[in-house]
Amino acid sequence: MTRAYGLAVTAFLMIASGGVALGQAPKKPAAPVEDIAALAAIMDHVWLDAAHNRDSATLQWLFADDFVEIHPGGDMVNKQQQIDQIMDPQRMLNELHPDDIQVRYVSQDVAVLTDTTTIRGTSGGVTYNGQQRVIRVFVKQHGRWRAAGAGIVHLTAR
Amino acid sequence: MKTIYVGTLALVLGCASLAFAQTKSAAPATGGEDWNALDHKWLDSERTGDLDYLEKFFADSYVLVLADGTTYTKKEWLGILSGPDRPTLLKLDPVNIKARVFGNVAILTDHTTVKGHDSKGNSLDGEFNVFRVVIKQNGIWRATGVVMNQDLTKK
Repeated sequence: MTRAYGLAVTAFLMIASGGVALGQAPKKPAAPVEDIAALAAIMDHVWLDAAHNRDSATLQWLFADDFVEIHPGGDMVNKQQQIDQIMDPQRMLNELHPDDIQVRYVSQDVAVLTDTTTIRGTSGGVTYNGQQRVIRVFVKQHGRWRAAGAGIVHLTAR
Repeated sequence: MKTIYVGTLALVLGCASLAFAQTKSAAPATGGEDWNALDHKWLDSERTGDLDYLEKFFADSYVLVLADGTTYTKKEWLGILSGPDRPTLLKLDPVNIKARVFGNVAILTDHTTVKGHDSKGNSLDGEFNVFRVVIKQNGIWRATGVVMNQDLTKK
């Protein structure tokens, strides 16, 4: 698991970093929205894998400076607060992964998706024990994609 | 299995790398937009049932996630607001509105007080911390997503 995760993150970082240089080339043709949608879905997995593995370097790289997230119960955190919660030694997560990813909106510099994220454990003083419904926002800044924010609610409706 | 996963990831990222081959994104929007007014107009329109405005203001991609995780598309939500089961909304009041603008998308957060009831008389009263996503299409800001969370932070 660790090796696979490391390879995946390395591949992701290499391609995304290359995008910075590519992003400086003038008048490149627009990427198909299908590619951006696929990228957003992958970034969703990278985001949650990094959170699950307490990979603060990837989270620092992934989160935009103005990142914001609202958690179940209404707690609102910025980039540093979110990373601090993830790195908190008191935090215990047994399960964290997204399913049912639906890319709702895509443009050349914005992607908005919903997913059902399964979280089991305790983080930021909140006990999670099941499925959450989430909207995640990705933006392209200076040639590379970053996570801008997320809104999360505990899924109780069926 | 893991090998397949990593291989698939690399392939998808390879295709997706086309997405990076763009010129730099436009600089983040600065000022000029009255986010407070936009948020209030949005909620006032829902409260008063101004469906003409909402039809234009909601992007086709609009998705509403209520505090219990119930999710509605634009068509579904406008159908409820215009149908016999339309909720009676006596108060939809957003305060502490903050906007984070990322070029052609902005994330608004606010604290919204709701007072009202559904078509069966069940109370909808509550205090919510809300995550709103608006996108700029053809120069116009439109709503594309909302997540409502009951505010338990002060209890």
